[in-house]
Amino acid sequence: MADSNQHHKNHEHHILADSTAKQVFVALIVLTIVTVATAQVDLGIFNFAVAMLIASVKASLVFMIFMGLKYDHRENSVIFGSSLVFMACFFVLCFADLLTRGDVYVKGSILPESLVSQPSKFPKAWVSTQELVAHGKELYSAQCVSCHGAEGAGNGIAAAALNPKPRNFTVADGWKNGPKPSQIFGTLTKGLNTMPAFASLPPPDRWALAHYVRTFGPHESAQDTAADFAKVGVDPNKAEDASAGPTSIPVDAAIDLLSTD
Amino acid sequence: MGSHEVAGEHQVAHHFKSALDEFEACKQAMWIFLVTEVLFFSGLFVAYTVLRVFEPEMVKAAHHFLDWRLGALNTVFLITSSLTMAFAVSASQRGDNKRVVRQLIYTLILACGFCVVKIYEYSHKFHDKLLPGAHFGNTELTANKAGLFFSVYFVMTGIHALHVVIGMGVILWVILRARKNEFSPNYFTPVEITGLYWHFVDLVWIYLFPLLYLVG
Repeated sequence: MADSNQHHKNHEHHILADSTAKQVFVALIVLTIVTVATAQVDLGIFNFAVAMLIASVKASLVFMIFMGLKYDHRENSVIFGSSLVFMACFFVLCFADLLTRGDVYVKGSILPESLVSQPSKFPKAWVSTQELVAHGKELYSAQCVSCHGAEGAGNGIAAAALNPKPRNFTVADGWKNGPKPSQIFGTLTKGLNTMPAFASLPPPDRWALAHYVRTFGPHESAQDTAADFAKVGVDPNKAEDASAGPTSIPVDAAIDLLSTD
Repeated sequence: MGSHEVAGEHQVAHHFKSALDEFEACKQAMWIFLVTEVLFFSGLFVAYTVLRVFEPEMVKAAHHFLDWRLGALNTVFLITSSLTMAFAVSASQRGDNKRVVRQLIYTLILACGFCVVKIYEYSHKFHDKLLPGAHFGNTELTANKAGLFFSVYFVMTGIHALHVVIGMGVILWVILRARKNEFSPNYFTPVEITGLYWHFVDLVWIYLFPLLYLVG
């Protein structure tokens, strides 16, 4: 306001003419009708874009003419514009996070039973059993088949869109982290290239998947040593306490929890 | 400002050089306040967008349980009230206090119309158990997580309606001052900044209407 003396020497308050106000009013009503009309037509994703475009035209009529920014000092436009800049930052940062996020971190105790694995079922899941392989097969057909394919050849429906391609489990070479159970377990925990981490699955589930995946190919000779187990934090002589449950769950599961809470 | 009024004539506060300086400072303060309002509503718009991006089918199914005709009616109420508010501001700039009172009464009536429609909508939602989060109990709307849509709906429209009600109180205060012939071409600040606030409330609704009622 320091410069307001020179600035306002010849400044008079702008009085909005009634006729202008009426024109803006008519434009706002017409644009409202256009909004309703376009919403009746299915334009897919463009419905949203068109609605927001029309709303923004209406909004600018309101703040330029009714609120007088058009006739006002530039500084008030800058002040108001700054809020829109910060709003844009808000949106960009939120979605940069949300759209690139895998899991939501949680404390085990709030999880429902269905998300916590039963501790008694697979106490030593790193030792392959028929039950574990069968359990792994179930998980595989739900979680893995779309990329790795039903035969484990890395030729699932979604494989075409992926680069690098999903692992072909039927051949011996190319296993970046190695084909031992603990190595597959590690890959599932951390993810690899285009494969996301499956840390949200309880550890016995990840072991079950590892055992099942090994049945596709010639990997019988690759067995874990004590050092391999140590790398994934397993003491092979102790039964694992899985009652703590996962430390992270998928976003979908978290939203389910919130909406039923 | 109240303490500087003598016999209905507005006195410029001593720390301002002129009436114009005082007016510009007040108006700028209002714009800064409106910036905080934009940021306040931003949180809600982000929440809405997250829901729409992650649950597009649910939002689409749930929005059919809002009546767009009532939303459109309320849009017309608010746009028309913006027009009468614009008339009131220009009347105050000319010192025509009678017209200020008349136009602001029209504005109040339209705002009441908005509130009546809102109350009607809300009571319908309560009756049909179209309620936020865990309180959701409608059996016709089977989409998963539909309670989240109504959480967003009630918070967004509820906070907006709160702004409308506060605005009505402020408009009433300006009407009472205009009845005392307090406004003149030299002093119409309260009318001007109340107008800014009221237009802003209209502006928020301009976005709420298509976002909630016209998902497509």
